[in-house]
Amino acid sequence: MTNIDELTPVEDGHEMRALIRRTSNNQRARRVLISRVMMTLCAVAIAIAIVPLALLVYQLLRRGIPVLSTTFFTKLPESPSLTAPNATGGVSNAIIGSLALNIYASMMAIPIGVLAGVYLAESNSKLASTLRVIAQTMAGAPSILMGLFAFSLFVQDIKIGFTAIDGSFALAVLMLPVIAISSEISVRNVPNTLREAGLALGAKPHKISMKVVLPSALTGIVTGVILALSRAVGETAPVLLVIGGGYLNTWKPLDPVSALPLMIYTNAKSEWPSLRAEVWGIALVLVVVIFVLSLGARLWASRKQQVRN
Amino acid sequence: MEEIVSELTVNSPKQPEAPSALGPAAMKLDNVAVSFHGRTAVRDATFEVTKNRVTSLIGPSGSGKTTLLRALNRLHDLTPGTKVSGRITLEGEDIYRGNITVTELRSRVGMVFQRPNPFPTMSIYDNAVSGLRFNGIKKKEILDEAAETSLRAAALWESVSSRLKVSAGQLSGGEQQRLCIARALALDPEVLLMDEPTSALDPVATLRIEELMTTLKQRVTVVIVTHNMQQAARISDDCAFLLMGEDRAGELIEFGPTQKIFNDPTDSRTLDYTLGRFG
Repeated sequence: MTNIDELTPVEDGHEMRALIRRTSNNQRARRVLISRVMMTLCAVAIAIAIVPLALLVYQLLRRGIPVLSTTFFTKLPESPSLTAPNATGGVSNAIIGSLALNIYASMMAIPIGVLAGVYLAESNSKLASTLRVIAQTMAGAPSILMGLFAFSLFVQDIKIGFTAIDGSFALAVLMLPVIAISSEISVRNVPNTLREAGLALGAKPHKISMKVVLPSALTGIVTGVILALSRAVGETAPVLLVIGGGYLNTWKPLDPVSALPLMIYTNAKSEWPSLRAEVWGIALVLVVVIFVLSLGARLWASRKQQVRN
Repeated sequence: MEEIVSELTVNSPKQPEAPSALGPAAMKLDNVAVSFHGRTAVRDATFEVTKNRVTSLIGPSGSGKTTLLRALNRLHDLTPGTKVSGRITLEGEDIYRGNITVTELRSRVGMVFQRPNPFPTMSIYDNAVSGLRFNGIKKKEILDEAAETSLRAAALWESVSSRLKVSAGQLSGGEQQRLCIARALALDPEVLLMDEPTSALDPVATLRIEELMTTLKQRVTVVIVTHNMQQAARISDDCAFLLMGEDRAGELIEFGPTQKIFNDPTDSRTLDYTLGRFG
């Protein structure tokens, strides 16, 4: 190593500068080494995290793509038999069922969730803080609980039987706290200066909420709704106990329906290899739907943000 | 020292106006104090805001200028624990205890804030007429006319008339602030409160707003908080000087015509501050 001391002559009265430069130079090799080791560790950690995910996607594509066909999307399920062991039919009932369940659930959860979020953000009352704790707890509650709740309420107490509406109710209860919390955060993030601007123009508080705060928070609210929806689409547990696993294409709220996650659950346990293979196609469809939903939410939010700036 | 004094002087300092001959008052403050959770933030504010003049509130940080300004349109109402005592009148009516509703008060006493805060989801046009819409006015002809009049009054019409439907976020900072002025003017207020309206702007944008203010006072009475003493000297007719007292509460030290405050103040602390000895 070169003699650093010679390269950094000490000026009178500035001994500290020389000391810092010398110390820093002496430690350079060690710093570089630590930096390389740390970077390597980070890379390894990323690899460990990504490898299982990549394998999963690979399996999903390799086994899922061959299953997909027009029949898969448009026909009702069939039961394989000894004479026709590969006759699995399609999953149209589960596609329609999943759509119906999530549309009804959204119709229940979005308006209530968004309004609840606005209330949580704008109110300082005891009730609001209590509700916030409940929402946060609910957001972390196991999803089977929602199914159990819907089961006891609709099937056992009200006795309307195993129907789509039971399942959408369970999904709505699942989505509600997620939407409420994300809406609250978005509304809170709206700068107070905008509320003050509204007040200073003589606007009443509810007008400010509707005309100023909600539009400004819309990007965040929609993102939250889509994320809640993409979680609901893939949930099996809440619908498992209540939707009845109907074998028909039906949009009626009071009919028993099937759902994509439910079909994965039932088919995966089947004796028939053809049904077990079909599961990968259903899983692929689900993953694509969820991927499109979350990607769409992100793109929409970032475009909206760009337009504004 | 004399050089500095002359630099801050406005117009001709030789004939200071008598405080009594200023004209009718738009707002009167009588022993006004504002406290937050029992801690006084500003007190002893007694002065008149004269019609069609620019009144500036000056003083160092913490002297309660903004707090006092926000009492004039009751913007403290929604802050829990805030108490405004004393008497503030608008055209003779007590704004805290009179018949006037808070929304009516705010449509008569407009406000422009420190940072430009146009509504980001609204277009330039929608921003300009937002106050009218908040107050229930929906007729398109009325809104169209108000948009043009107020944008012209805020010296913004020329540059935005061809892109009224564009998002307000696309304007420059100075233009956004003039849009906020237009938004307030659309309600044809009697008084316009301005809370350091140029502190977030560059010198050119600041100059344009200052030029605007001198023309604005023909149609609206202006009360402006400013940190910038040169600005107060340049644009205001009357000046209130506030200072933080021993107990950290702001108080009104002196009020009078700007020329007198800057050239011949009664209180030695006013002179020290305007000469830049502290603050």
